[in-house]
Amino acid sequence: MGKILMKGNEAIGEAAIRAGCLNYFAYPITPQSEVAEYLSRRMPEVGGVFLQGESEVAVGYMLFGAAGCGARVFTTSSSPGISLMSEAISYISAAELPAVFVNIVRGGPGLGGILPSQADYFQATKGGGHGDYRLLVLAPAGVQEAVDMVMMAFPLAEKYRNPVMILGDGLIGQMMEPVEFSDRFKSEPSNKDDWATNGMATRNRKERNLVKSLFLDAELLEEHNLVLKAKYDRMKQEEVRYEPYNIETDYRALIVSYGTMSRVCKTAIDNMKAEGVEVAMIRPQTLFPFPIKAIRAAAAKDGCQVVISVELSMGQMVEDVDRSVQGKCPVHWHGKAGGEIPTPEEVVDVVKSFIK
Amino acid sequence: MIGFNTVEKLKGIVVVVGNYGSGKTEVSINLAVNRKRAGIDVRIADLDLVNPYFRTREARKPLAKLGIEVVMPAEKYLKADLPILSPVVAGLIRRPSQLTLIDAGGNDVGATVLASLADAFRKTSVQMLQVVNPYRPFTETIEGCLKMRDEIEKTSKMTIIGIIGNANMIDETAIEDIYKGYDFVKALSDESRLPLKFITAPATLLAEIDTGRFSCPVLPIERQLVPPWIKAAGLKK
Repeated sequence: MGKILMKGNEAIGEAAIRAGCLNYFAYPITPQSEVAEYLSRRMPEVGGVFLQGESEVAVGYMLFGAAGCGARVFTTSSSPGISLMSEAISYISAAELPAVFVNIVRGGPGLGGILPSQADYFQATKGGGHGDYRLLVLAPAGVQEAVDMVMMAFPLAEKYRNPVMILGDGLIGQMMEPVEFSDRFKSEPSNKDDWATNGMATRNRKERNLVKSLFLDAELLEEHNLVLKAKYDRMKQEEVRYEPYNIETDYRALIVSYGTMSRVCKTAIDNMKAEGVEVAMIRPQTLFPFPIKAIRAAAAKDGCQVVISVELSMGQMVEDVDRSVQGKCPVHWHGKAGGEIPTPEEVVDVVKSFIK
Repeated sequence: MIGFNTVEKLKGIVVVVGNYGSGKTEVSINLAVNRKRAGIDVRIADLDLVNPYFRTREARKPLAKLGIEVVMPAEKYLKADLPILSPVVAGLIRRPSQLTLIDAGGNDVGATVLASLADAFRKTSVQMLQVVNPYRPFTETIEGCLKMRDEIEKTSKMTIIGIIGNANMIDETAIEDIYKGYDFVKALSDESRLPLKFITAPATLLAEIDTGRFSCPVLPIERQLVPPWIKAAGLKK
């Protein structure tokens, strides 16, 4: 199959099918409804299921149930919908089940607006739901990368038996770009006998699988949390992904930016380069685990006068940038949260205001 | 537009329909600009009640500079995903400009709004054209395009009378894509017996394209609907 022109939302739906996920439960919300629209047509063609829940709360638990049975399952929503699913996300994490959540973020808080935003950074990387759990969070900056990350998300969720979230702002869902899909349809989870309640007769394992999140005994709950923590520590070791940009130069400033915002920053960096001003960027592709070491090293380079976190929020990722840099360089934030995206010219002005 | 002035009939009310992302809006905007440059009085109505992003209304400022009026919901509702149909639209249909372009939303869902204008349309003659980009999902086959046509005709309660070929891969469009896309819409035109009104090509590629291959005019596209890191093409009078 050659390249095809797709909206991010459509491409995410198709990629899930290519990843072998034939179970999709969702509730429509702008700006991600095209995923549901697309899959309502496509799922029947491939023998899959699209079921619209009565709310996002229900959808979250549909994922819990399907994952518990050993099915590859995913959902898509936008900010307020993900808030409603957050309880189930905590339960799924506690029960150590794989599932993929896609958040095409819109402006908040509350109902907010329908334009692009990255203001769910905290929700995705620091919790949202209750308890000591983490999501592996992937942040695409284009439609092809959204496809690649969906393909990657299912094996990662199964490797860690943990929910994976894809965090894309509204523009990632709505913009169109040419994309290519691998023709290799993936199969169901290979390790599902480890957790699935799929009946003793069909499995190699002798022990029965139990899906639960209740541990009334303090010692058992402590032990359970240590198991989870060990997983999250392993993610920090093995799953950090980022893209450096213009990093081989004698840059005077370092931008940290992800998703749509990073595309604007790239244009700004190219424009400054043309004027003889070198600026580098680290684009986190995983928001958890966060590329702490890469940012710290890049910020510590001689000649780097400032680190600027440019984001579509009122300053969320900047907290992780700050703890990465650890005082080695001044850290600033620049961003917007109403739905307007800063222009390349605006980013250039901001960078120039901080450098000598 | 190359050879376009020969298409005298493209006047009056032209309704542009097609599947999601087929390029209705980019085509409508560029058609409006092209006809305005040819000295025709043009107005364009944004009837996209479906998609909250990348609508005609995004280009209202450059269009206004050229003297092309964009009819759309009141300013305060511009960023809402509410199905607002401006009452001005019915007036626009009753008192059309030399060329009145109506840019409907995607798929049958987007065309539903047209049925609510049926009364206004009844008293006038309308040309409804289907935009086809064969590199988009659900319209990569002739059957897919015909199904889309049926669905749109059913919900809009109107008849499609022609095809606009809009084969493109946005920034990655190659000349070969234009040629292959033309062959596809030509075959669709033969199969459906709907005339191929025109095809499009990026203005930047026009010099390299052998237009002698085509039996229809070519509308150059100067891209207006762009993400924030790309500059829209400047529109000269």
